[in-house]
Amino acid sequence: MVDWRLFEPLFNWARKKSLWIVSFCTGCGGIEMPPLMTSRYDIERFGIIPDPSPRQYDLFLITGYVTPKTLKRIIITYEMAPDPKWVLAHGSCPLNGGVYWDSYNAIKHLDKYIPVDVFIAGCMPRPEAVLDGIHKLMEMIESGEADGWKRYRENYEWYRKNQDELLGEGWREKEARKWIPWLMDKRKEVKE
Amino acid sequence: MLEAFLKALLIILYATFVGFMFMGIIRKVTARIHRRIGPPIYQPIIDTIKFFSKKENITHGVIYDFGIIFALGATILALMFIPLGGVSILRAYGDLILITFLLEIPMLGIMFAAMSSGNPYAGIGAQRALLTLLAIQVPLGFAIVALAEYYGTFSTYEIVMAQQIHGWSIFHLPLLLAAIAYDIVLQAMFGKEPFDIMIAPGEISLGPMVEFGGKHMGILQIQHAIGLFAETLFFSNIFLGGAVVMTFASPILNTLATLVILLIKQLAVLLIAIFISTIFPRFTIDQAARFYWKWPTIIAALGAILASL
Ligand code: SF4
Repeated sequence: MVDWRLFEPLFNWARKKSLWIVSFCTGCGGIEMPPLMTSRYDIERFGIIPDPSPRQYDLFLITGYVTPKTLKRIIITYEMAPDPKWVLAHGSCPLNGGVYWDSYNAIKHLDKYIPVDVFIAGCMPRPEAVLDGIHKLMEMIESGEADGWKRYRENYEWYRKNQDELLGEGWREKEARKWIPWLMDKRKEVKE
Repeated sequence: MLEAFLKALLIILYATFVGFMFMGIIRKVTARIHRRIGPPIYQPIIDTIKFFSKKENITHGVIYDFGIIFALGATILALMFIPLGGVSILRAYGDLILITFLLEIPMLGIMFAAMSSGNPYAGIGAQRALLTLLAIQVPLGFAIVALAEYYGTFSTYEIVMAQQIHGWSIFHLPLLLAAIAYDIVLQAMFGKEPFDIMIAPGEISLGPMVEFGGKHMGILQIQHAIGLFAETLFFSNIFLGGAVVMTFASPILNTLATLVILLIKQLAVLLIAIFISTIFPRFTIDQAARFYWKWPTIIAALGAILASL
């Protein structure tokens, strides 16, 4: 095998300069994303483009409150990407629940379920604040501090335990099977 | 033998580099049209390095890996047949039908890989891409027939040489019609906007590309770069007169001048494609098939009939 450690500075520079975002818009922050990408705060200057595929992204923006139903999708999307990947949580809701602190149906600490690299406070943050957060993340990638994906790998038991506590054990299979009885009923109706 | 090998390597390197610059130009010009600053022009190179630096790789089996390599290989093979001024290797065998065929093969390779991934989005994307591929055959065939009929030969290099004497193809009416039809077809071959139905970002996730991550996507980026270079080069060879410069005494200066002239012509082709793609929204697949079987076919058939009179 070739020893790639020598090229690590080059790779880190490339990773920092071309962060692709998966277009996963949760909560109110979803409307803060388009201004970030269009003419005024053009984020493509830094090589960042939105990309609809969960296999190709490097940067996962959590743009607001997360309900348990969304959390399942977030975890699946997070686990689908190949390894160096970073999460930037955006707004007060992923940080500590925000205004939904007493809601039965909003996640209070996102950090317990997937590893977050940078938090941006604010309800909702200005695009400048998001740019600042991304700048911070770039610095951390350059210095190797941003290691959410590594933490997820090493502490998987802990994250898995928290996820199972909240969503119930075997939630992946349950989620996949959820529609089958309904579909069967529909088929019967159509036949009749 | 060794010389031919070195030449081939140089051509591939040059094509890859210029192709990446073309991809950067596409993004930059699109950004300027939207009144944005846009990424630096070398951005696709950074993206590719990033894709190759991923620590994990996802694969769905042998065909999944093979399809990608197949696509890259077919693109390189197509490039070898297209005359690049005086430099090309296999230009003596580079006939029109072969090259048009080889330029469509990469899409099939990507289809193989996408279908074997088992993702429903990739499946839908592959079906749409195959229908687009089917739709563009008709005007493409007529355009090729018009060219062959007019010049009396299938060899691309001979067509370039004939244009040195008689002037560019697009200045003759029958071939101008063929060129217009071919330019509309190019839009689908590049995967640019009115006919980017196969990829359709936002509509069906990413179509066939949806499952590719890491190194597969890196190879696809290189394939896309070489493909852009080869398609624009083919168009400027058969319709814009190509370039064979004989004015300087030294062969190196001649080659450089040839490359620069070709580059300018390729950029012209590319810019037209970008301008069209930024202002037109996407067609649905049935509209696209109907469109291709109507207007470009009529135009190209008219060209073919006029050329044979
Ligand atoms: S932080 Fe405020 S703006 Fe953001 S999701 Fe929560 S309530 Fe909405």
